[in-house]
Amino acid sequence: MIKFENVSKSYSKGSPAVKDVSFEIDRGEFVFLIGASGSGKTTLIRLMVREEKPDEGTIWVAGKNLVTMPSWKVPHFRRNVGVIFQDFRLLPNKTVAQNVAFALQVIGKPNRFIATQVPQILRLVGLEDKMDRFPHQLSGGEQQRVAIARAFVNRPLILLADEPTGNLDPETSWGVMNLLERINRTGTAVVMATHDVGIVDSMRRRVIEIDDGRLSRDQVRGVYGLGV
Amino acid sequence: MSLAAIFTVAISLSLVGSALLIKQGVSTATAEWKGNVQLLVFLQPKISPTEFTAVKDQLRQLPAVKSFSYVPRAQAYADFRRLLANQPDLVNAVPESAVPTFLRVSLVNPAETRAVAAIFQGQPGVDTVNDNFSAINTITTVSNVAQTVILAIAVILLVSAAVLILNVIRVAIFSRRREVAVMRLVGATNSFIQIPFMLEGLVQGLIGALVATGVVILVKSFIGYAISHFKMHLLQGFVLTSHNLIDTIAVIVVAGVVVGTLGSTIAVRRFLSA
Ligand SMILES: Nc1ncnc2c1ncn2[C@@H]1O[C@H](COP(=O)(O)OP(=O)(O)OP(=O)(O)O)[C@@H](O)[C@H]1O
Ligand SMILES: [Mg+2]
Repeated sequence: MIKFENVSKSYSKGSPAVKDVSFEIDRGEFVFLIGASGSGKTTLIRLMVREEKPDEGTIWVAGKNLVTMPSWKVPHFRRNVGVIFQDFRLLPNKTVAQNVAFALQVIGKPNRFIATQVPQILRLVGLEDKMDRFPHQLSGGEQQRVAIARAFVNRPLILLADEPTGNLDPETSWGVMNLLERINRTGTAVVMATHDVGIVDSMRRRVIEIDDGRLSRDQVRGVYGLGV
Repeated sequence: MSLAAIFTVAISLSLVGSALLIKQGVSTATAEWKGNVQLLVFLQPKISPTEFTAVKDQLRQLPAVKSFSYVPRAQAYADFRRLLANQPDLVNAVPESAVPTFLRVSLVNPAETRAVAAIFQGQPGVDTVNDNFSAINTITTVSNVAQTVILAIAVILLVSAAVLILNVIRVAIFSRRREVAVMRLVGATNSFIQIPFMLEGLVQGLIGALVATGVVILVKSFIGYAISHFKMHLLQGFVLTSHNLIDTIAVIVVAGVVVGTLGSTIAVRRFLSA
C-alpha cells in the first residue's frame, strides 16, 4: 500500500530531513510514526501525498509511483488518501455538514450522492446532532472528528494523521483514537505521526521510529520507549 | 471585483478605441483629399490676353496636369462669399473687383504639386500659386502624432490595468487560501481550483470593455455632430461608417478579455501554483 525505497529528501536550505529511509506498509495496517521534534515525521507524510518529491529513492502509494507521477495526475491520486492534521484545518465559515460536503463538491461528486454520504459519515463520527454548528461552536475533539469525517467520506484506502491528538486532552484523544481504530477496521490503512507515549504504548501497534531523518526502529506491536 | 481595475480598463480601452476611430477617419479623409489636391494659379488683374493664352498652353502641355478650369471673377467672388459666409464684416469689406481670378488645376499625382507650382510661380501675368497640399500634410502629420501619443498612453494604461487585475486576483486568492488548501488536500483538480479566479479577471476586463464601448459610441456620434455642425470644410471627408465602429468595438472587447485573462493568469500562476 505504501512503499519507501531508499528515500532521501532535503529542503532547499539545511541538512537532509529524511535520509535513506525504506519501509513498507500493507493494506489495512495501523502504524505509528514516532521520533523527536524535527526528526522528519511530517516530511514523510508530505512525501506520501506528493506535497514534496524525494531527492532520491522511490515512493509507491496506492499502487502509484509518486516519483514519476506527472503533476496533473496528483489531484486524482489524492482522492485515495485522506489526511488529518493537528490544527484540524476546517473552514470556519462553513457548518460541520458543509465542511464535509465541500470535500465532495470540489471533486465533482453529484449532489444526490453528497446528500446521502454526509449524514452517514457524520453518524459514524458521532456528530449527527451537530451538523449545523460552525467549527468555533465545537470542542477540539469534535473539530478533529469533523476533519476525520472529511478525510474519510471518500472512503480512501489510506488515512494519514499528523499528530491528530496534539491539541487534545488525554480523554478526548482516546475518543479520536477509537474512531481511527474503527476506521482501520474497515480495511483502511492508518499512518499516524505522534508524540503521545500513552497512546502508542497502550495500542501496541506497529511502530516506525525516525531519528534525525533516519529510520531507527521498525517494530511490530511496539511501544514508544526502547527496552520496555 | 475591483472598481479601480474596471475603471482603468475602461479608460485605457476608451483611448484605444478613440485612437482607432481617428485613425480610420483620417485615412478615409486623406484618401479623399489626396484625390482632390488642387493648385490655384491666381492671375494678376492686368494680365494680357497673350500671357493668359501662354499660361493655358503650358498647362495643356504638362503631363502632370490632369485638367484645369478657369474661374472667372463673378464665380470667384461667389465662392469667396460662400466660404467666408460666417464672417460678414470681411465679406462686405471686399468689393467684387478686388477678388482675383484664378485657374483651378487638378494634378495626376499629388506628389508633383510642388514642382508644378514652381513652374508657374513668377510667370508673366501670374500673381501667386497656392496649393492645399501642405495643409493636408500638416493634418496627416498631426493626426499621426496624436494617434501615436494616444496609443502609447493607452498601452501604458492597459499594462497598469493588467497589473491591477493581477493584484485583485492575488487578494482574492489570499482571502480564499483556506478553501484552496482544503481543495488541494482532498484532490480537486488544478483547473477546478483556478478557473473561478481566471473568470473573475476575465469578467473585470469584459466589464471595462463594455464601458469603453459606450464611450466610443459617444465619441463617434460627437465627431459626426461636430463635423456637420461646424461645417469644417476640410473635414468633410472625415466619415466614420458603422463598419469602422464595429471593428473598433471588436478590438476593444478582445483587448479587454485579453487584459483580464492575462492579469489573472499571471496571478494564478504565481500565487496558486502547486
Ligand atoms: N518547508 C521546510 N523548509 C525547510 N526546512 C524544513 C521544512 N519543513 C521542515 N523542515 C526541516 O526538516 C526537518 C524535519 O521536519 P519535520 O517537520 O518533518 O519534523 P517532524 O518530525 O514533523 O517534527 P515535529 O514533531 O516537531 O512536527 C526539520 O529540521 C525542519 O526544520
Ligand atoms: Mg511534524
